[in-house]
Amino acid sequence: MSVEVEVDENDLAEMVEQVWESYLDPEGISPLMQTYDENQPSEVHSSVSITGSWTGHVVYASSRAAAQRAAAAFLAMELEEVSEEDISDTLGELANIVGGNVKAMLPPGAQLSLPQVVLAPESSARYPNTERISGVYGLWEGEPVSISMWQSSTDTKEEGA
Amino acid sequence: MTPMRAMVIDDSRAMRMILKRIVTKLSFEAVEAGDGKEALDLLADMTEVPELALIDWNMPNMNGLEFVMKVRADPRLREMTLVMVTTESEQSQIVRALAAGAHEYVIKPFTEGAMIEKLALLGLVPTGANS
Repeated sequence: MSVEVEVDENDLAEMVEQVWESYLDPEGISPLMQTYDENQPSEVHSSVSITGSWTGHVVYASSRAAAQRAAAAFLAMELEEVSEEDISDTLGELANIVGGNVKAMLPPGAQLSLPQVVLAPESSARYPNTERISGVYGLWEGEPVSISMWQSSTDTKEEGA
Repeated sequence: MTPMRAMVIDDSRAMRMILKRIVTKLSFEAVEAGDGKEALDLLADMTEVPELALIDWNMPNMNGLEFVMKVRADPRLREMTLVMVTTESEQSQIVRALAAGAHEYVIKPFTEGAMIEKLALLGLVPTGANS
């Protein structure tokens, strides 16, 4: 199916700002500082798949330290109290929130999967026949965090056809 | 006076903790469920039905919309106020949830203040509980 993707980096950045304001930085003292570097490293990542009117993935990736900090903020815990399960659960919910809001901007008829969490770098992920089409890349208290969109190449080819 | 009770239904433990923290602050007693089926099982065993349910949409086993429809079909659960708390923010999805019987809709991400305001609108907490 062919659709024009209407979700750009500004849309993603706005969603990221809302997530920070709501959960990760409610006091507004530690925003994500954009680096625009799509090659920044990651140590953990989570993703949701979208199928239907647009097919692809929304991926949240970060360093382990940033993931630990996100879990501590989400769960109102001290950093040293955060477990692997806390990190995994928080990463999954972050992908779910961003992915759900991306889906809302797509044409009707898209479905959202449950989140997948992999405590390994984004670069180890395999999204066959996809192309990264958009992303927000930044540092959160010095640690890399990114949110990116990967579109199925089937969609991309049809768009170009 | 018996405290009001809230059921928090979300497959994300992180989100359940956030919602539980908010309603506990508002003096609710909170019960958690990881999906709609678990929530229905818990409700079946309760002698008193919670006044409020905060319900995610995307969940395994039984999603939030199916849960709302089941609750609305059960006269015993009629008094429970149902609030969808979800990333499903398209207008069409909101209409579907409200048509199925949800009373209100909160879109993730939400701030604590926005959630409290919504509960105040529903008359479940005093207006100004957020201040």
